[in-house]
Amino acid sequence: MTDNSLDARAVHFAGVVSRLRRLDASMLLWLALIAVLVFLILNPVLRLIISSLQETGTGHLTLENYRSAYGSLRHLEALARSLELGAGVAVLATCFGVPIAWAISRTDMPCKAFVRLMVFAAFVTPPYLGAIGWILLAGPNSGWLNKVWMALTGASHGIFNIYSMTGLILVVAVTSFPYTFVFTSSALDLVSSEMEDAANILGARTLRTMLRITLPLVTPAIIGGIIISFLEAIALFGAPALIALPARFNVVSTQLWQFFEYPVRVEEAAAYAMPLLAITVLMFWIQRRIVGRRGYTSVTGKGGERRMIALGPWRWAMLAYALLVGALSVFLPMLVLLQAAFAKAWGRGFSLDNLTLHNFYYLLFEQTQAKQTIINTFLYAAITAFAAISLTLAIAYVVNRKLVPFSNVLAFLCMAPFVVPGIVLAIGFYAAYASPPLALYGTATILILGFTTRFLPIAYTSSAAGLRSINPEMEEAVRVLGGSRLLAIRKVLIPLLKKSLAGAWILVFIPATRELSSAIFLVGPNTRVISVMLYDLSEEGNFEVLAALGVILLVVTVVIAAIGSKVIGRDFMLRRNS
Amino acid sequence: MSKLELTGVSKRYGDFLAVDGIDLELQSGEFVSLLGPSGCGKTTTLRMIAGFVDPTLGTIEMEGRILSSPSGSVPPDRRQMSMIFQSYAIWPNMTVGQNVAFGLELRKIGKAETKRRVGEMLEVVHMGHLADRYPAELSGGQQQRVALARAIVIRPSVLLLDEPLSNLDAALREEMRFEIRRLHDEFHVTTVYVTHDQAEAMVTSDRIAVMNHGRIEQVDVPRALYDRPKTRFVAGFIGRTNFIEGSSDGHQIAFDGFALPCTGFDTAAAGSKLMFSVRPHSMRLSQTPPAEPNGAIGVVVVERAFLGEHWDYVVRPRDGAHTLRVTTSPMQDFPVGATAWLEFEAGQMALIA
Amino acid sequence: MFPIRRRNFITGGAALLALGASKSAKAQPAPAMTPHEKELYEAAKKEGGELTWYTAQSDDITAQALGRSFEQVYPGLKVNVLRTTAQVAYQRVTQEIKASAIQCDVLSTTDIGHCVALKANGSLEKYVPDNSSKVLDIYKNYDPDGTYFVTSAGMIGIGYNTGKVKEADAPKNWTDLLDPKWKDNIALGHPAFSGYVGTWALTLRNQYGWDFFEKLAKNNPRIGRSINDTVTMLNAGESAIAGSGPVGTLMESVQKGNPLAMMYPTDGTVLIIAPSGIMKGCKHLNGARLYMEFLMSPGASQIWVDHFNETIRPEVSVPKGVKSAKDLKTIRPTVDQIVKGIPEVIKQWRDTFGV
Repeated sequence: MTDNSLDARAVHFAGVVSRLRRLDASMLLWLALIAVLVFLILNPVLRLIISSLQETGTGHLTLENYRSAYGSLRHLEALARSLELGAGVAVLATCFGVPIAWAISRTDMPCKAFVRLMVFAAFVTPPYLGAIGWILLAGPNSGWLNKVWMALTGASHGIFNIYSMTGLILVVAVTSFPYTFVFTSSALDLVSSEMEDAANILGARTLRTMLRITLPLVTPAIIGGIIISFLEAIALFGAPALIALPARFNVVSTQLWQFFEYPVRVEEAAAYAMPLLAITVLMFWIQRRIVGRRGYTSVTGKGGERRMIALGPWRWAMLAYALLVGALSVFLPMLVLLQAAFAKAWGRGFSLDNLTLHNFYYLLFEQTQAKQTIINTFLYAAITAFAAISLTLAIAYVVNRKLVPFSNVLAFLCMAPFVVPGIVLAIGFYAAYASPPLALYGTATILILGFTTRFLPIAYTSSAAGLRSINPEMEEAVRVLGGSRLLAIRKVLIPLLKKSLAGAWILVFIPATRELSSAIFLVGPNTRVISVMLYDLSEEGNFEVLAALGVILLVVTVVIAAIGSKVIGRDFMLRRNS
Repeated sequence: MSKLELTGVSKRYGDFLAVDGIDLELQSGEFVSLLGPSGCGKTTTLRMIAGFVDPTLGTIEMEGRILSSPSGSVPPDRRQMSMIFQSYAIWPNMTVGQNVAFGLELRKIGKAETKRRVGEMLEVVHMGHLADRYPAELSGGQQQRVALARAIVIRPSVLLLDEPLSNLDAALREEMRFEIRRLHDEFHVTTVYVTHDQAEAMVTSDRIAVMNHGRIEQVDVPRALYDRPKTRFVAGFIGRTNFIEGSSDGHQIAFDGFALPCTGFDTAAAGSKLMFSVRPHSMRLSQTPPAEPNGAIGVVVVERAFLGEHWDYVVRPRDGAHTLRVTTSPMQDFPVGATAWLEFEAGQMALIA
Repeated sequence: MFPIRRRNFITGGAALLALGASKSAKAQPAPAMTPHEKELYEAAKKEGGELTWYTAQSDDITAQALGRSFEQVYPGLKVNVLRTTAQVAYQRVTQEIKASAIQCDVLSTTDIGHCVALKANGSLEKYVPDNSSKVLDIYKNYDPDGTYFVTSAGMIGIGYNTGKVKEADAPKNWTDLLDPKWKDNIALGHPAFSGYVGTWALTLRNQYGWDFFEKLAKNNPRIGRSINDTVTMLNAGESAIAGSGPVGTLMESVQKGNPLAMMYPTDGTVLIIAPSGIMKGCKHLNGARLYMEFLMSPGASQIWVDHFNETIRPEVSVPKGVKSAKDLKTIRPTVDQIVKGIPEVIKQWRDTFGV
């Protein structure tokens, strides 16, 4: 009897100890991850909010910042313009992206590989570069399109004026639609053809089926795309700076920039930036309400094959539409940018005596900054991608395997930067870390940290998706045989995840190379990146050199992405193998 | 005039012949199954009937009107048919009621009338109280009922079902196959049912077309398929069976290790090699020797398995090499190695071509 | 002041070809280093041999040329040239000061008010270059305390696209810009970015009152950021007139073959005096001192005139046929006016033009 109870107590005690040990380790892990996330996300945002309530220089609490930020009619107008821009871009990007996604995912439209490539090219193009291209195309008197129009019709001035809200919406939408495209097409890839067949046989034809069945099935994805385009648009800095200013209106981002003119008014900037934050949170709340309790995924697993819908002669119409979008987003701007890059003076047009390699020569050999800037850009982007993926993979693992209590808090924090527009995040970082004690101003560190935080949501989404597809039993098999968890991760999980991690890496790398809105506040003289240099170059109107630098950026990015996708073996833009 | 007629229907994909010369006729209100293993072409045939796939050869007609032919087809949305899919294909973004109403709305039936018919139909499938639920909130069986309701409410000329029960567990499958038959009987819908499960086919169908490698091996009522299989494949596919080969000399048929008199058999072509399908339960195993000679043969029990509702025995004729499977009631207990007497019934031995 | 000569216009072509030819003959060897320079040179090498220069005083090409020339004259030293508009450069140094992380060594701005404010803040290092006594008189003694010195000068006139505007029709003076026939065809910079434009706007406000700009707004000018944006607009054919036309950039563009020309207004060409200073607490003090010497040397002035800017050294003269400040009537505000006036002008501009 005594023996038994001793045994029982020993077992119980051992159980408690091991639970405590596990608790210890998992607690430590949780604390470590929380600390990192707090540093990256919570602190800057909190500092921003606190700054908005502080008086410049003294730190006393005050509402004065809000009063001066919103007391001015001009500032309020800028806010209204931003909302207008966001809404316009959301609508246009959806009109561009959704039909193309449907055509590629579900129909027999020809030349799909080419169209995908074109969408990818649009994704790689930074909005400000697209803006420059469009200025060259549609400047009211000088743009190529207008010149062609004037030549054809004998009119005295052109019909396109890029320096307008419409122009700005177009410019931003043609670089945003890849988001709506990717969201919609990945969701569409999951829709079984039987859903459409069921409608078909009940009497619905192709168009009706698409409108009443197919697209509603991917409503969450479409809404996701709309929200992302909207938020990207209101947070953009480069394209509005190039187009809105000459068009004589301001948006929130360009207005924020003014708060950073001398004298620097971080506090007022912070107060002014609050609505952007509020709007973002509102958008996500709206999305949740709309999606609601309807399930959207196909409830069963079997029978999920996808057949292409035969469109007959309409497939050429769809291709034509896709090519039109491609022309607006890629072909036309690229053409003029290439022309400018190889021109002595782009205004002189396409003529043999206007060709030169001097712009590239100047950049690579004479401009003291360019080489370092180019290296910086890709180096920082690569480091950012590695940092973001590593961090989010660890967090996703912890969340997915429920290793710690309240793991959802970690997931939430990872996604939180989504609600903070890049420019606001940068100001927050500036407020929190630029000055002593950390004094990170002008260092590569603050830039990389800012980027990493900015791209945490994308990295987390990819890591989590990749992890979800792996059955935990794979690791459990290792552990049952005696291996540790770390061994299981190293030998089983990482190899299985290789492809999906590589894809995620590229998804972070590419936007990081072209990021301007947050970079513009965080760069120092030694840490300039291409995007900021392009912005500076655009200030003095040296379009030839600017175009050459833009071409270099695009070429290197495309090469890296091409290598990457060869390594991965499938299109990284979340395409399922069809 | 038959309701649905397939004449010489074939489908070729490149080098692969998926469906090879199918002839099938359905009368109005008939329930016919296409039964066969995977890859036998049954689903392809069904999809051709539905109009999703065009035949390479042959025609599909409904009440004399050509629906499908190599030169052109009526598209699926104009065939007045309905289909149940393996994945149910219930649209998750619509309620049960909206799903069922879809086909009626397309036919421009007024709101009130639609509501009435939907309500009626949902009652018939016992889903009336769940009309406002979303599919994510339903069980597999309930979704299946919604699929049925949606398909039948529009009064299709032909109802097509593509392995609808394969996603359900055994108990639910049993329940649902009765349901499907019940709905068929209530609405008299001409039905084509594709499955690989012979029990399903037997329970639900008026006739079964057994398919193999793109061809129909035999079309018959279930009983006839079971008792009188015409080919080796059909015999083996429907239920379990023993194949035994014998040669006839006019008086008796000699098998491996035993012989049976020719009387009682339908055919007695002398000298020919004959293949018979003998069902395990059509033979009797007993301890007592037979009353007449040549009525039974002596056998040795080689293996046995107790399955609760019956015994499965593998026996070998004393003078033969090939074993036979025999089924007996649970009461008949023969240990392994024991000898026993096996009695045949000529009428139950089916001659296979 | 300067005698008013008969107006003559540069029309490109022969004068520029001559210019181009003479430019290539200019590769002279650098003059020997003075002992003081040598001392600074050695010290600068010990500091790390690198320095960072924020400049708004020219376009990127000219700035790069200056940096490279310095590196040739003082081998082993490297210059990080960062060209931006004046307000952006100023914003960056104030950010650095606020963050106590000075990255800039030498600041060259086009808004003398910046230097005044930085000096008042105690953010400029005192250093009197040897060369400061050798520049043209007009550029001497702006700061008796020796924290900033004039290192460059430039002019603003009215530029036009010769393809669109005939010489006879071009505006002859500032008030001609208000003529309705130039509606939708004038390009301007923005004083909130460009020091040049700020000074120009202030000068014209002094001359004609802010009313001038209210009227100018009616002509719906195309507003960019840098003053150099105006040249871009002309080149592109987007605008026909550069209302605030920088002489240096425009002439450089003409040399590249673009169809432009400069008009020096009868009521005075705006002269910009652009100072430089060393940031207190900078990382490369000796390098910075040496650079200040360099900026005020004949070598630097040669580069300035090669790129169609003014020279600040008497030894260096502008090429034949090119106009210089001493040949023209020039107008400019005083330092005090600049310090007080430019922030005012920026605000008024925003109110009048909406951005």
